[in-house]
Amino acid sequence: MIKVKDTYILGIESSCDETSCAIVKNGVEEIATVILSQIDIHANYGGVVPEIASRHHVQNITIVIEQCLKKANMEMAMIDAIAVTYGPGLVGSLLIGIEAAKTLSYVYNKPLIPVHHIAGHIYANNLEKPMCFPLLALVISGGHTDLIYMDKHLSFKKLGSTLDDAVGECYDKIARVLDLPYPGGPSIDQMAKKGENIYALPIPMNDNSYNFSFSGLKSAVINLVNNEKKHGKEINKDNIACSFQETVIATINKKVRNALANYPVNYFIIAGGVAANQGIRNNLQFLCKEKKINYNFPKLKYCTDNATMIAAAGYFLFQDKRFGDLTLNSKSTINLD
Amino acid sequence: MKILYLDTSSSFLYSGVVINNKLEASIKKEFGKTLSIYTLTEIKKMFSSIKMSLNDIDKIIVVNGPGSFTGIRIAITIAKTIAWSLRKKISTISSLDAMALSTTGYDYIIPYIDAKRDYGYFGVYDKNNNTILPNKYIPLSFLKNYIKEIKNYIVVTNDNIDISNKINYDPDILNIVNHYALKENINAHLVNPNYLKLTEAEENNDKRN
Repeated sequence: MIKVKDTYILGIESSCDETSCAIVKNGVEEIATVILSQIDIHANYGGVVPEIASRHHVQNITIVIEQCLKKANMEMAMIDAIAVTYGPGLVGSLLIGIEAAKTLSYVYNKPLIPVHHIAGHIYANNLEKPMCFPLLALVISGGHTDLIYMDKHLSFKKLGSTLDDAVGECYDKIARVLDLPYPGGPSIDQMAKKGENIYALPIPMNDNSYNFSFSGLKSAVINLVNNEKKHGKEINKDNIACSFQETVIATINKKVRNALANYPVNYFIIAGGVAANQGIRNNLQFLCKEKKINYNFPKLKYCTDNATMIAAAGYFLFQDKRFGDLTLNSKSTINLD
Repeated sequence: MKILYLDTSSSFLYSGVVINNKLEASIKKEFGKTLSIYTLTEIKKMFSSIKMSLNDIDKIIVVNGPGSFTGIRIAITIAKTIAWSLRKKISTISSLDAMALSTTGYDYIIPYIDAKRDYGYFGVYDKNNNTILPNKYIPLSFLKNYIKEIKNYIVVTNDNIDISNKINYDPDILNIVNHYALKENINAHLVNPNYLKLTEAEENNDKRN
């Protein structure tokens, strides 16, 4: 029997406030991951400050690569290709990962693989067990709210998207109104469990499309908080968090149902930082069971930004020989499909 | 000794390879916002032109600022990644020091890099390249007042500022490299930009506290 050679991809991710390097075998098996998060630094400013993020990336970049190789007990010579996030994200932050990846590609004469950040989030679902097609992917993060249909690897058909704020952005803004620390998602998720859904908030884009909208919901919550304050009423933050989260879940549930009705799939996946939200996970798990479709929700550590998912996606791009060259540049916005 | 010089702290790419006191190849090209696209391909071309590989060099001298924040980070990221991966020696120098070392024939050499809103980075050097005033972030008006008090000076700048006795910066890469060839090496992980200026968010935070 001929043994097929294993493929090791080294991934680099620096699109926002995490500097990360990872090595993944055959697009499925995580060998090592190192993440240096700046979350505590940006918490002082209530959100990510792009210039501060870039300054930390440049300090950390070679350190995460070295630590990752050490953790994997590997040398660069054993790596087959270097995958790097080239967009979307913060231009200055992306550049650090890109310049480092290009330099490694040049120094070691290894193929360079540009990876779309959202493709990375989707391929976090390929870690541990291979994805099945056709599938429907819900991408929910601080920058994205997308429904994507895939009939095979690397084929992304965007069915719908947010028309204004991303769902994670909305969570952060509501958290700020409720004086919760940045990032707001985890706090709201926790508080929602304790609260009651007593405020009737409007379900946004309550139609048959696959699109989302969160700015109206955001304004409704802000107005609600301000009105309660104006009338001297005590605000029960748990109840607001619960009402808000239940409304978000209702709109997500509705859109996923719409998509499943018109795109029959065997497999449903979620991706992105907001995919760590327990309330949303529980609801979608229930929906999949009701619809009798298989599903995969990434482990919590693969929901937030990491290089493991970039290396996982990089493996399939490597198989498809979709290489970049030394002129690769960062793209702040770029479509997946 | 074979040394690679790298500076992307302005809109220009300045790079060169110096071997035993001879400038074997160099690049002086303006790329503006496309520095991130072309820096590595230009370096690769430069090495091919002299039939050398990156691994042949002994040391990297990289400019760590002040200047364009994004620009500085391009050269620093490339240089520290090369130094770390190929275990090469590396040291950093100031862009203003490099500018002063490229200028001769004046009692006072004053490199100036515009930082917008009538501020800039500057330093003052004597004819032997000794520092008279250290690198600093200052208002342009400070420079204008300073030169009123001195004679036989020159301001070195590539920026369009209204000031008398100025010349454009044209790096003397051989002189810069020779001057710093023996400068102490640092661990590649610790090679970082020297911005000379906090970010706006940090400045605003400082004001509030």
